[in-house]
Amino acid sequence: MEDYQEQEYEFWRKLDDQMDRRRLLKRGLAAGAGLTILSLSETALAARQRVTATTPPLRGRDVTVKEMVAEARKEGHLNLIATPPEWANYAEIIPTFSKKYGIPNTVDNPEGSSGDEVQAVISLKGQSRAPDAVDVSPTFAVTPANQGLYDKYYVTEWKSIPRAMKDGRGYWAADIFGSMAFGANLSVVPSVPKDWSDLFNINAKFALNDDPRKAGTAFAGVFAAALGNGGSLNDITPGIDFFAKLNKAGKFQAINVTPQTVASGQTPVTIDWDYNQLGYKKTYTNFTWAVSIPKSGTYSSYYCQAINATAPHPWAARLWEEFLYSDQGQLLYLKGYAHPARFADLLKRNVVPKAQLAALPALPAGGVKFASLAQQNKAKAVVNAQWGPKVLGA
Amino acid sequence: MKPRISASAVIWLVVGTVYFVVPLIATLLFSLQSGKNSSYSLAAYGNVLRDHTFWSTLKLSLELALETIAISLLLLVPTVYWVHLKLPRIRPYVEFMTILPFVVPPIILVVGLLQFYNGTFRAPLWYLENPNYFLTSAYVILAFPYVYRSLDAGVRAIDIHTLTEASQSLGAGWRTTMSRVILPNIRVAALGGAFLTLAIVMGEFTIASLAAFFTFPTYIAQVNQEKIYEAAALSLVSFLITWAAMAGLLLVGRGSGRGRARLAGGR
Amino acid sequence: MGPEGTRSLDLSATAVDSVGRPGPHGSGRRRFSLAWLGVVPFFAYATAFLILPSVVVLVGAFKSPTGSFTWDNMSEVIHTPEYRHAFRTSIELSIVTAILGGALGLMIAYAAIRPGTPRSVRPVVTTFSGVAANFAGVPLAFAFIATLGFTGIVTKFLDEHLGINIYEHGFTLFSFTGVAIVYLYFQIPLMILVIAPAIDGLRSEWREASSNLGASSFQYWRHIGFPVLLPSVLGASILLFANSFSAYATASQLTGGSVELVPLIIGQNVGGDVLSNPQLSQALALGMIVVMAISMVLYALIQRRASRWIR
Repeated sequence: MEDYQEQEYEFWRKLDDQMDRRRLLKRGLAAGAGLTILSLSETALAARQRVTATTPPLRGRDVTVKEMVAEARKEGHLNLIATPPEWANYAEIIPTFSKKYGIPNTVDNPEGSSGDEVQAVISLKGQSRAPDAVDVSPTFAVTPANQGLYDKYYVTEWKSIPRAMKDGRGYWAADIFGSMAFGANLSVVPSVPKDWSDLFNINAKFALNDDPRKAGTAFAGVFAAALGNGGSLNDITPGIDFFAKLNKAGKFQAINVTPQTVASGQTPVTIDWDYNQLGYKKTYTNFTWAVSIPKSGTYSSYYCQAINATAPHPWAARLWEEFLYSDQGQLLYLKGYAHPARFADLLKRNVVPKAQLAALPALPAGGVKFASLAQQNKAKAVVNAQWGPKVLGA
Repeated sequence: MKPRISASAVIWLVVGTVYFVVPLIATLLFSLQSGKNSSYSLAAYGNVLRDHTFWSTLKLSLELALETIAISLLLLVPTVYWVHLKLPRIRPYVEFMTILPFVVPPIILVVGLLQFYNGTFRAPLWYLENPNYFLTSAYVILAFPYVYRSLDAGVRAIDIHTLTEASQSLGAGWRTTMSRVILPNIRVAALGGAFLTLAIVMGEFTIASLAAFFTFPTYIAQVNQEKIYEAAALSLVSFLITWAAMAGLLLVGRGSGRGRARLAGGR
Repeated sequence: MGPEGTRSLDLSATAVDSVGRPGPHGSGRRRFSLAWLGVVPFFAYATAFLILPSVVVLVGAFKSPTGSFTWDNMSEVIHTPEYRHAFRTSIELSIVTAILGGALGLMIAYAAIRPGTPRSVRPVVTTFSGVAANFAGVPLAFAFIATLGFTGIVTKFLDEHLGINIYEHGFTLFSFTGVAIVYLYFQIPLMILVIAPAIDGLRSEWREASSNLGASSFQYWRHIGFPVLLPSVLGASILLFANSFSAYATASQLTGGSVELVPLIIGQNVGGDVLSNPQLSQALALGMIVVMAISMVLYALIQRRASRWIR
């Protein structure tokens, strides 16, 4: 299954790279013809389904906005999970959605991990408290999709989501992407590190967010160190070696980072997603919090939206995704310093407010490159095997 | 001649006090630093007490604690009494069952409960979706070891055979015997078990979190990830509230006049 | 109602069930079988909410991802050095905190209960212990970071007033030693709560009698005090062992993986972001249960002996 996925990724990426106008036109026509023929029965089915009006649609374009809102309001609620307020402006996005459509929401376990979300989908199946939609890291989008835990759904704006950030079969799509960035408590250290080598010179011990074998953000931090120290998306070992060296130099601590440990001076220098680091400026009010993207290399990734196949409120879930992928939703993400998935499209159409665009973290120098699922899995196996012995000395 | 406090007792009590109180003081000092440039301020406490989620989750957890205590006692008092009176041979098995909750990690218990009642065997939704049913049923299991030990010790300390036979020979039926003879005598032991149950429920996080219920401990964990000074203030406030609830239980127990309260039962 | 041992201290373990023995007309047998009904609710509850759910999960320890029976998971647990190391560290940490927590808890409990100490001390100690025994996880971890971390108040005090920089001497809170120190915060109170009734059982008459007969304090403890307390202390220590072995929240907050413990690995696999292998975590959990079951059997055996001395 995973080889298939890797091939698919490669295929779509190659497609993006080699596309020129003529080829695009040709392929588009061929695809269009083929798809029309193939989808006639599906459209018929969808049309029939529209008549029954209780089966949620496969595509956002299949129903009118009014219809979707009406059905969602009939359901009367939206269950979200692990969408904390300080993450990419969810503090504004969620209430805006509820107010706009008059649908109350519940956010379960806001600080939960992607693994917790999938666990909830499984454990709470059939209950009215089960999550309707999840926001997970790529691994927890692909594998559960293959296990049938998610529903297919193509949002109205599906086309303007880059290929590399969505599932061809429609099970999930990225909502935001970002890169790893340093953050520093300036009341403890004089400045934020600009690059990986600076970490050896700070008068404090650097902390990954948690154990990289457990937390996705910490794992991304190790990958970032690899990319900044001669590694590649195929080779995470330089990252592990970097932290081993840092630990030997006495400049690393393996501890779970929380806002208190940052404020108390225990972990004054951290690494996290750029949108989170910038968002923390609102949390850390009584000292200056500085952020920077590592100069010699960092790791980028995205988070994915998916709809629970057994969602208690399927229409509300789809309306939620429509909202997130609309210009309004994507711009709200952008306000939270996250690059929305449709960033390229928004830029092209000039709809981004200048001030917010300027406040966005810079993209990595070489452009944004995502690791494929196969590359991620390989890296995880390496981290799992080597992190303990090399870095922790265990 | 009343004996005076010995020197070694003073030393140990002082050492104990230092070890236990200093971290609390550290938390207190940190919670007060929410002012600009870490100046002192009580703002964090104000924010905590004004948060209506604080009160709603506290109320839920206290409710769950009382329900757990009630059900555990309802289940275990007759059992302990019966085992002592009629079935002493079965006591090892009962004890083993009450020790099992120590052996099974809470994360396995909650995943198992959800898998069993939401998968293998479709429990009714009112059970699964209401914390007062689902969580309480799990918490009773967690409380088994403590409640059983307390009750067991309490029953052993009184002469249950004599009391029962005397009461019956005076013409009392089972109900009267239970309510007016046995129960008052094990009231202190029952309170001891209730004590520990309260502390367990007010501190239990894993089961509530994985079953997606919003209790006081899950609220505390959430605040710890989102806020800085409020988190420290909250841990102190929760400590004090639980301590106060315990002291309350203790006073209720004292009121029954059994002298020194035995808080973990005697064994 | 006669002298059938209804008053003897041996009411506990091996007493003859004076009420339940078969009567002369065989009606006792009927009475006996009906008596079993009295414990049915308890066993039914335990089965429904503890045994069955646990079995349902632990069966997964023997399942492969495709659902067929396999020993692979268990063998992976036994043969992977990382997991063996985690079991060893968990067991070592639990033994250390059980012994230290047991000794310190005993001393403090005895100090609070013994004659001579003001009567008001005991309820304060026991209520505080009740709360502290469950004060674990993030609040406890941070309390100690605020005390012994880089900018902790004790660290600063030692540095500024006594000139001792503990971190220069290699101390760190995020090590085996540090975690043990933090674990004591809930191990000692648990010991206090569990051993208090046993200390109550040390009759003051024994102390008086022994000193009347000319024994010194040391002799009292060596021949009377410790032997009486020892079974309860050992039993309580095993309880502390089990408590420490299954503790999860505190270590997960305190260490970013720097101390390898079995509950942490299970947590990584069940709720983590990176790994996801539920069968393996179930196999690890089964391993934990085996370790704990052994310690619980020891506990039960020792408790049998201990209960003879305490009323």
